[in-house]
Amino acid sequence: MEMEGYINKNIKDIISQYPEIGSILNEYDIACVSCNVGTCLLKDVVEVHNLTYEAEHELMKRMAKVIFPGNEVKIPKVKRKIGPAAGQIKYSPPVRKLVDEHAFIKKLLAAIPHILESLNVAKVEDRQLIIDSVDFIRSYADKYHHAKEEEILFKKFGEGIEIIKAMLDEHDIGRGHVKAVLEAVEAGDNQAIKERLTAYCELLKDHIKKEDEILYPWMDKNLTVFQVGELFNQFNEVDKGFEAASRKYEGFAKALEERFNRASQKIFCP
Amino acid sequence: MLEGCPGSKTMDLREKEGQEDTASVKVISQLRQWPIQMHLISPMAPYFQGADVVLVADCVAYAHGNFHNDYLKGKAIGIACPKLDSEQEIYIEKIKGWIEDAKINTLTVLIMQVPCCSGLVKLAQEAAQSANRKVPIKYIVLSLQGEILQEEWL
Ligand SMILES: [Fe+2]
Ligand SMILES: [Fe+2]
Repeated sequence: MEMEGYINKNIKDIISQYPEIGSILNEYDIACVSCNVGTCLLKDVVEVHNLTYEAEHELMKRMAKVIFPGNEVKIPKVKRKIGPAAGQIKYSPPVRKLVDEHAFIKKLLAAIPHILESLNVAKVEDRQLIIDSVDFIRSYADKYHHAKEEEILFKKFGEGIEIIKAMLDEHDIGRGHVKAVLEAVEAGDNQAIKERLTAYCELLKDHIKKEDEILYPWMDKNLTVFQVGELFNQFNEVDKGFEAASRKYEGFAKALEERFNRASQKIFCP
Repeated sequence: MLEGCPGSKTMDLREKEGQEDTASVKVISQLRQWPIQMHLISPMAPYFQGADVVLVADCVAYAHGNFHNDYLKGKAIGIACPKLDSEQEIYIEKIKGWIEDAKINTLTVLIMQVPCCSGLVKLAQEAAQSANRKVPIKYIVLSLQGEILQEEWL
Protein backbone atom coordinates (compact mmCIF):
# COMPACT_ATOMS: atom_id res chain seq x y z
CA MET A 1 0.00 0.00 0.00
CA GLU A 2 1.32 3.44 -0.88
CA MET A 3 0.54 6.89 0.54
CA GLU A 4 2.41 8.34 -2.43
CA GLY A 5 -0.77 8.53 -4.50
CA TYR A 6 -2.44 10.66 -1.85
CA ILE A 7 0.25 13.23 -1.17
CA ASN A 8 -0.44 14.87 -4.54
CA LYS A 9 -4.18 15.06 -3.90
CA ASN A 10 -6.11 18.14 -2.97
CA ILE A 11 -6.73 18.27 0.78
CA LYS A 12 -10.41 19.20 0.55
CA ASP A 13 -11.15 16.08 -1.52
CA ILE A 14 -9.26 13.89 0.92
CA ILE A 15 -11.14 15.37 3.88
CA SER A 16 -14.53 15.04 2.23
CA GLN A 17 -13.74 11.39 1.45
CA TYR A 18 -12.23 10.74 4.91
CA PRO A 19 -13.63 13.29 7.39
CA GLU A 20 -11.57 11.75 10.20
CA ILE A 21 -8.44 13.11 8.52
CA GLY A 22 -9.76 16.64 9.12
CA SER A 23 -9.84 16.03 12.86
CA ILE A 24 -6.39 14.47 12.81
CA LEU A 25 -5.00 17.55 11.01
CA ASN A 26 -6.77 19.74 13.57
CA GLU A 27 -4.83 18.05 16.34
CA TYR A 28 -1.65 19.27 14.65
CA ASP A 29 -3.06 22.81 14.40
CA ILE A 30 -3.51 22.35 10.68
CA ALA A 31 -6.88 23.95 10.12
CA CYS A 32 -7.74 22.71 6.64
CA VAL A 33 -11.32 21.86 7.60
CA SER A 34 -12.20 25.48 8.33
CA CYS A 35 -10.14 26.88 5.45
CA ASN A 36 -12.18 28.96 3.03
CA VAL A 37 -10.48 27.49 -0.01
CA GLY A 38 -8.84 24.16 0.79
CA THR A 39 -7.31 23.46 -2.60
CA CYS A 40 -3.79 22.84 -1.25
CA LEU A 41 -2.19 19.46 -1.96
CA LEU A 42 -1.57 17.16 0.98
CA LYS A 43 2.21 17.28 0.47
CA ASP A 44 2.19 21.11 0.51
CA VAL A 45 0.06 21.11 3.62
CA VAL A 46 2.58 18.89 5.38
CA GLU A 47 5.60 20.76 4.02
CA VAL A 48 4.49 24.28 4.88
CA HIS A 49 3.54 23.47 8.46
CA ASN A 50 7.16 22.63 9.17
CA LEU A 51 6.48 19.93 11.75
CA THR A 52 9.36 18.03 13.30
CA TYR A 53 10.22 14.87 11.33
CA GLU A 54 8.84 12.70 14.13
CA ALA A 55 5.56 14.62 14.22
CA GLU A 56 5.26 14.54 10.44
CA HIS A 57 5.85 10.78 10.33
CA GLU A 58 3.30 10.22 13.08
CA LEU A 59 0.75 12.40 11.27
CA MET A 60 1.25 10.59 7.96
CA LYS A 61 0.96 7.23 9.72
CA ARG A 62 -2.33 8.20 11.31
CA MET A 63 -3.72 9.44 8.01
CA ALA A 64 -2.58 6.28 6.24
CA LYS A 65 -4.43 4.21 8.86
CA VAL A 66 -7.64 6.04 7.96
CA ILE A 67 -7.15 5.64 4.21
CA PHE A 68 -5.92 2.02 4.27
CA PRO A 69 -7.41 0.48 7.42
CA GLY A 70 -5.69 -2.69 8.51
CA ASN A 71 -2.88 -2.48 5.98
CA GLU A 72 0.85 -1.85 6.35
CA VAL A 73 1.52 1.41 4.53
CA LYS A 74 4.79 2.86 3.27
CA ILE A 75 5.11 6.46 4.50
CA PRO A 76 6.73 8.87 2.04
CA LYS A 77 8.98 11.62 3.33
CA VAL A 78 7.94 15.10 2.30
CA LYS A 79 10.96 17.03 0.99
CA ARG A 80 11.81 20.17 2.93
CA LYS A 81 14.50 22.80 3.07
CA ILE A 82 16.45 23.52 6.25
CA GLY A 83 15.08 26.41 8.22
CA PRO A 84 14.49 27.45 11.78
CA ALA A 85 13.02 24.72 13.95
CA ALA A 86 9.26 24.51 14.17
CA GLY A 87 7.87 27.01 16.63
CA GLN A 88 10.44 29.75 16.23
CA ILE A 89 9.80 32.14 13.39
CA LYS A 90 12.51 34.45 12.10
CA TYR A 91 11.42 36.43 9.08
CA SER A 92 13.65 38.02 6.45
CA PRO A 93 13.56 41.85 6.59
CA PRO A 94 11.07 42.37 3.72
CA VAL A 95 8.72 39.66 5.00
CA ARG A 96 9.01 41.11 8.51
CA LYS A 97 7.69 44.38 7.08
CA LEU A 98 4.54 42.58 5.91
CA VAL A 99 4.13 41.01 9.35
CA ASP A 100 4.41 44.51 10.88
CA GLU A 101 1.65 45.69 8.53
CA HIS A 102 -0.49 42.76 9.70
CA ALA A 103 -0.12 44.12 13.24
CA PHE A 104 -1.88 47.35 12.17
CA ILE A 105 -4.57 45.47 10.27
CA LYS A 106 -5.16 43.35 13.39
CA LYS A 107 -5.69 46.53 15.42
CA LEU A 108 -8.56 47.43 13.09
CA LEU A 109 -9.96 43.88 13.21
CA ALA A 110 -9.91 44.01 17.01
CA ALA A 111 -11.92 47.24 16.92
CA ILE A 112 -14.64 45.87 14.61
CA PRO A 113 -16.76 44.14 17.29
CA HIS A 114 -16.72 47.36 19.32
CA ILE A 115 -17.66 49.43 16.30
CA LEU A 116 -20.56 47.09 15.56
CA GLU A 117 -21.77 46.72 19.13
CA SER A 118 -24.27 49.58 19.14
CA LEU A 119 -24.08 50.54 15.46
CA ASN A 120 -26.70 52.86 14.09
CA VAL A 121 -25.68 53.89 10.62
CA ALA A 122 -28.31 56.64 10.60
CA LYS A 123 -26.11 58.43 13.14
CA VAL A 124 -23.48 60.63 11.48
CA GLU A 125 -20.57 59.49 13.72
CA ASP A 126 -21.40 55.79 13.34
CA ARG A 127 -21.67 56.13 9.60
CA GLN A 128 -18.37 58.02 9.45
CA LEU A 129 -16.58 55.39 11.54
CA ILE A 130 -17.71 52.62 9.18
CA ILE A 131 -16.65 54.67 6.16
CA ASP A 132 -13.25 55.41 7.73
CA SER A 133 -12.76 51.74 8.62
CA VAL A 134 -13.66 50.68 5.10
CA ASP A 135 -11.24 53.31 3.80
CA PHE A 136 -8.50 51.76 5.97
CA ILE A 137 -9.34 48.29 4.68
CA ARG A 138 -9.45 49.36 1.05
CA SER A 139 -6.40 51.62 1.09
CA TYR A 140 -4.05 50.18 3.68
CA ALA A 141 -4.98 46.49 3.88
CA ASP A 142 -5.84 46.05 0.22
CA LYS A 143 -4.28 48.61 -2.12
CA TYR A 144 -1.07 48.81 -0.13
CA HIS A 145 -0.53 45.53 1.74
CA HIS A 146 -2.35 42.99 -0.42
CA ALA A 147 -0.93 44.62 -3.53
CA LYS A 148 2.59 44.08 -2.18
CA GLU A 149 1.72 40.43 -1.69
CA GLU A 150 -0.05 39.94 -5.00
CA GLU A 151 2.10 42.01 -7.32
CA ILE A 152 5.52 41.41 -5.77
CA LEU A 153 5.88 38.61 -3.21
CA PHE A 154 3.53 35.98 -4.63
CA LYS A 155 4.85 36.58 -8.16
CA LYS A 156 8.20 35.19 -7.06
CA PHE A 157 6.55 31.81 -6.57
CA GLY A 158 4.34 31.60 -9.63
CA GLU A 159 0.58 31.90 -9.56
CA GLY A 160 0.02 28.19 -10.11
CA ILE A 161 0.85 27.17 -6.55
CA GLU A 162 -2.31 26.07 -4.75
CA ILE A 163 -1.49 27.71 -1.42
CA ILE A 164 -1.00 31.04 -3.18
CA LYS A 165 -4.22 30.60 -5.13
CA ALA A 166 -5.97 30.03 -1.80
CA MET A 167 -4.53 33.30 -0.44
CA LEU A 168 -5.58 35.21 -3.58
CA ASP A 169 -9.08 33.77 -3.29
CA GLU A 170 -9.30 34.98 0.29
CA HIS A 171 -8.24 38.48 -0.78
CA ASP A 172 -11.10 38.38 -3.28
CA ILE A 173 -13.64 37.10 -0.78
CA GLY A 174 -12.58 39.98 1.49
CA ARG A 175 -13.12 42.49 -1.32
CA GLY A 176 -16.63 41.10 -1.78
CA HIS A 177 -17.44 41.64 1.93
CA VAL A 178 -16.13 45.20 1.83
CA LYS A 179 -18.13 46.06 -1.26
CA ALA A 180 -21.26 44.69 0.42
CA VAL A 181 -20.55 46.76 3.55
CA LEU A 182 -20.47 49.95 1.48
CA GLU A 183 -23.72 49.01 -0.25
CA ALA A 184 -25.30 48.33 3.13
CA VAL A 185 -24.14 51.74 4.36
CA GLU A 186 -25.87 53.34 1.37
CA ALA A 187 -29.03 51.32 2.07
CA GLY A 188 -28.87 52.14 5.79
CA ASP A 189 -28.97 48.40 6.56
CA ASN A 190 -27.33 47.93 10.01
CA GLN A 191 -27.82 44.16 10.00
CA ALA A 192 -26.06 43.67 6.66
CA ILE A 193 -23.16 45.89 7.76
CA LYS A 194 -22.77 43.82 10.92
CA GLU A 195 -22.88 40.52 9.04
CA ARG A 196 -20.44 41.41 6.31
CA LEU A 197 -17.95 43.28 8.50
CA THR A 198 -17.95 40.40 10.98
CA ALA A 199 -17.39 37.96 8.14
CA TYR A 200 -14.50 40.13 6.89
CA CYS A 201 -13.03 40.25 10.39
CA GLU A 202 -13.10 36.47 10.75
CA LEU A 203 -11.73 35.89 7.27
CA LEU A 204 -8.81 38.30 7.68
CA LYS A 205 -7.97 37.19 11.21
CA ASP A 206 -7.50 33.65 9.91
CA HIS A 207 -5.82 34.79 6.72
CA ILE A 208 -3.19 36.78 8.63
CA LYS A 209 -2.55 33.91 11.01
CA LYS A 210 -1.98 31.57 8.06
CA GLU A 211 0.40 34.02 6.42
CA ASP A 212 2.36 34.83 9.59
CA GLU A 213 2.70 31.29 10.81
CA ILE A 214 2.68 29.15 7.71
CA LEU A 215 2.94 30.83 4.34
CA TYR A 216 5.59 33.48 5.09
CA PRO A 217 7.99 31.14 6.91
CA TRP A 218 7.66 28.68 4.02
CA MET A 219 8.32 31.48 1.50
CA ASP A 220 11.32 32.72 3.46
CA LYS A 221 12.83 29.27 3.35
CA ASN A 222 12.41 29.10 -0.39
CA LEU A 223 13.52 32.61 -1.40
CA THR A 224 17.13 32.92 -2.51
CA VAL A 225 19.34 35.55 -0.89
CA PHE A 226 19.18 37.49 -4.17
CA GLN A 227 15.37 37.41 -4.11
CA VAL A 228 15.26 38.66 -0.51
CA GLY A 229 17.39 41.67 -1.51
CA GLU A 230 15.24 42.27 -4.57
CA LEU A 231 12.04 42.03 -2.50
CA PHE A 232 13.49 44.47 0.03
CA ASN A 233 14.15 47.03 -2.72
CA GLN A 234 10.79 46.52 -4.41
CA PHE A 235 8.93 46.95 -1.10
CA ASN A 236 10.99 50.06 -0.29
CA GLU A 237 9.91 51.59 -3.59
CA VAL A 238 6.23 50.95 -2.83
CA ASP A 239 6.66 52.14 0.78
CA LYS A 240 8.24 55.40 -0.37
CA GLY A 241 5.19 56.22 -2.49
CA PHE A 242 2.82 55.37 0.36
CA GLU A 243 4.77 56.97 3.22
CA ALA A 244 2.39 59.76 4.20
CA ALA A 245 -0.66 57.57 3.69
CA SER A 246 0.70 54.71 5.76
CA ARG A 247 1.46 57.11 8.60
CA LYS A 248 -2.15 58.30 8.45
CA TYR A 249 -3.68 54.82 8.36
CA GLU A 250 -1.37 53.35 11.00
CA GLY A 251 -2.29 56.32 13.19
CA PHE A 252 -5.98 55.60 12.60
CA ALA A 253 -5.55 51.93 13.64
CA LYS A 254 -3.59 52.95 16.74
CA ALA A 255 -6.23 55.50 17.72
CA LEU A 256 -8.98 52.88 17.37
CA GLU A 257 -7.00 50.50 19.54
CA GLU A 258 -6.53 53.09 22.27
CA ARG A 259 -10.15 54.16 22.15
CA PHE A 260 -11.62 50.68 22.47
CA ASN A 261 -8.97 49.30 24.79
CA ARG A 262 -9.98 51.95 27.25
CA ALA A 263 -13.65 51.20 26.69
CA SER A 264 -13.39 47.48 27.48
CA GLN A 265 -11.11 44.47 27.43
CA LYS A 266 -13.11 42.52 24.86
CA ILE A 267 -11.11 42.01 21.68
CA PHE A 268 -11.38 40.26 18.34
CA CYS A 269 -14.26 39.14 16.22
CA PRO A 270 -17.32 37.67 17.94
CA MET B 1 41.40 22.00 34.45
CA LEU B 2 41.60 25.23 32.48
CA GLU B 3 40.10 24.71 29.05
CA GLY B 4 41.37 27.98 27.57
CA CYS B 5 39.84 29.78 24.59
CA PRO B 6 37.36 27.55 22.72
CA GLY B 7 38.44 29.32 19.53
CA SER B 8 41.92 27.84 19.72
CA LYS B 9 41.22 24.63 21.64
CA THR B 10 42.78 21.58 19.98
CA MET B 11 40.15 19.27 18.45
CA ASP B 12 40.76 16.01 16.59
CA LEU B 13 38.16 15.59 13.85
CA ARG B 14 39.80 12.65 12.06
CA GLU B 15 37.04 10.14 12.76
CA LYS B 16 35.22 11.66 9.79
CA GLU B 17 37.99 10.56 7.41
CA GLY B 18 36.86 8.37 4.53
CA GLN B 19 33.24 8.76 5.63
CA GLU B 20 32.28 10.80 2.59
CA ASP B 21 32.99 10.10 -1.01
CA THR B 22 36.20 12.08 -1.56
CA ALA B 23 35.26 13.75 -4.81
CA SER B 24 36.85 12.40 -7.91
CA VAL B 25 34.94 15.19 -9.68
CA LYS B 26 36.94 18.37 -10.13
CA VAL B 27 35.29 21.27 -8.27
CA ILE B 28 35.43 24.45 -10.30
CA SER B 29 36.32 27.66 -8.47
CA GLN B 30 33.45 30.13 -8.16
CA LEU B 31 35.71 33.05 -7.27
CA ARG B 32 35.00 36.00 -9.56
CA GLN B 33 37.33 38.63 -8.12
CA TRP B 34 40.70 39.48 -6.63
CA PRO B 35 41.66 40.55 -3.99
CA ILE B 36 39.43 39.11 -1.27
CA GLN B 37 41.03 40.08 2.06
CA MET B 38 39.17 42.97 3.69
CA HIS B 39 42.30 45.14 4.04
CA LEU B 40 43.01 44.70 0.34
CA ILE B 41 39.60 45.04 -1.28
CA SER B 42 38.14 48.28 -2.55
CA PRO B 43 34.41 48.48 -1.80
CA MET B 44 33.98 50.43 -5.03
CA ALA B 45 35.32 47.61 -7.24
CA PRO B 46 32.82 46.86 -10.02
CA TYR B 47 32.08 43.33 -8.82
CA PHE B 48 30.61 44.73 -5.59
CA GLN B 49 28.09 46.97 -7.37
CA GLY B 50 24.57 45.75 -6.57
CA ALA B 51 26.00 42.36 -5.59
CA ASP B 52 25.02 39.79 -3.02
CA VAL B 53 28.12 39.96 -0.85
CA VAL B 54 29.45 37.34 1.56
CA LEU B 55 31.64 38.50 4.42
CA VAL B 56 33.41 35.35 5.48
CA ALA B 57 35.56 34.47 8.47
CA ASP B 58 38.88 33.05 7.27
CA CYS B 59 38.33 29.53 8.64
CA VAL B 60 34.90 28.98 7.05
CA ALA B 61 36.04 27.92 3.60
CA TYR B 62 38.23 25.20 5.15
CA ALA B 63 35.49 23.86 7.41
CA HIS B 64 32.70 23.73 4.82
CA GLY B 65 33.61 21.26 2.09
CA ASN B 66 31.34 22.70 -0.58
CA PHE B 67 32.01 26.37 0.12
CA HIS B 68 32.35 27.43 -3.52
CA ASN B 69 29.04 25.99 -4.67
CA ASP B 70 27.03 26.63 -1.53
CA TYR B 71 28.12 30.16 -0.66
CA LEU B 72 30.46 31.72 -3.22
CA LYS B 73 28.62 31.00 -6.46
CA GLY B 74 27.24 34.23 -7.94
CA LYS B 75 28.47 36.32 -5.00
CA ALA B 76 31.18 38.87 -4.26
CA ILE B 77 33.37 38.20 -1.23
CA GLY B 78 35.45 39.76 1.53
CA ILE B 79 37.33 37.67 4.09
CA ALA B 80 38.60 38.58 7.54
CA CYS B 81 39.47 37.18 10.94
CA PRO B 82 37.68 39.08 13.69
CA LYS B 83 40.00 37.60 16.31
CA LEU B 84 43.44 38.25 14.85
CA ASP B 85 43.17 41.04 12.28
CA SER B 86 44.28 44.53 13.26
CA GLU B 87 42.67 47.89 12.47
CA GLN B 88 39.19 46.52 12.10
CA GLU B 89 37.68 50.04 12.06
CA ILE B 90 38.77 50.04 8.43
CA TYR B 91 36.51 47.00 7.88
CA ILE B 92 33.54 48.93 9.25
CA GLU B 93 34.19 51.75 6.78
CA LYS B 94 34.50 49.29 3.90
CA ILE B 95 31.29 47.46 4.79
CA LYS B 96 29.57 50.83 5.02
CA GLY B 97 30.99 51.59 1.56
CA TRP B 98 29.46 48.36 0.24
CA ILE B 99 26.06 49.34 1.61
CA GLU B 100 26.02 53.04 0.71
CA ASP B 101 28.20 53.40 -2.37
CA ALA B 102 28.31 49.99 -4.04
CA LYS B 103 24.59 49.65 -3.20
CA ILE B 104 24.95 45.93 -2.56
CA ASN B 105 21.77 43.84 -2.68
CA THR B 106 22.36 41.76 0.45
CA LEU B 107 25.11 40.94 2.94
CA THR B 108 25.64 37.43 4.31
CA VAL B 109 28.10 37.03 7.18
CA LEU B 110 29.53 33.52 7.50
CA ILE B 111 31.26 32.64 10.73
CA MET B 112 32.48 29.67 12.73
CA GLN B 113 30.78 28.56 15.93
CA VAL B 114 33.70 29.68 18.12
CA PRO B 115 32.70 32.69 20.27
CA CYS B 116 35.32 35.14 18.98
CA CYS B 117 33.96 34.74 15.45
CA SER B 118 30.73 36.55 16.30
CA GLY B 119 32.81 39.74 16.25
CA LEU B 120 32.41 39.72 12.49
CA VAL B 121 28.61 39.90 12.78
CA LYS B 122 28.97 42.81 15.22
CA LEU B 123 31.25 44.59 12.76
CA ALA B 124 28.64 44.21 10.01
CA GLN B 125 25.88 45.42 12.34
CA GLU B 126 27.88 48.47 13.35
CA ALA B 127 28.55 49.34 9.72
CA ALA B 128 24.88 48.85 8.83
CA GLN B 129 23.73 51.09 11.68
CA SER B 130 25.98 53.92 10.56
CA ALA B 131 24.98 53.59 6.89
CA ASN B 132 22.28 55.82 5.41
CA ARG B 133 20.95 52.95 3.30
CA LYS B 134 19.53 49.65 4.53
CA VAL B 135 20.20 46.16 3.18
CA PRO B 136 19.05 42.75 4.40
CA ILE B 137 21.81 41.11 6.44
CA LYS B 138 21.88 37.45 7.31
CA TYR B 139 24.36 35.43 9.30
CA ILE B 140 25.23 31.78 9.13
CA VAL B 141 27.12 29.92 11.84
CA LEU B 142 29.05 26.77 10.89
CA SER B 143 30.29 24.02 13.16
CA LEU B 144 33.94 22.93 13.08
CA GLN B 145 32.76 20.10 10.79
CA GLY B 146 31.18 22.58 8.40
CA GLU B 147 27.53 21.92 9.27
CA ILE B 148 25.06 24.82 9.48
CA LEU B 149 24.24 25.45 13.14
CA GLN B 150 22.25 28.63 12.70
CA GLU B 151 21.02 30.68 9.79
CA GLU B 152 19.11 33.89 10.48
CA TRP B 153 18.28 37.28 9.07
CA LEU B 154 19.16 40.17 11.34
FE1 LIG C 1 -2.75 38.08 2.11
FE1 LIG D 1 -1.07 39.71 4.38
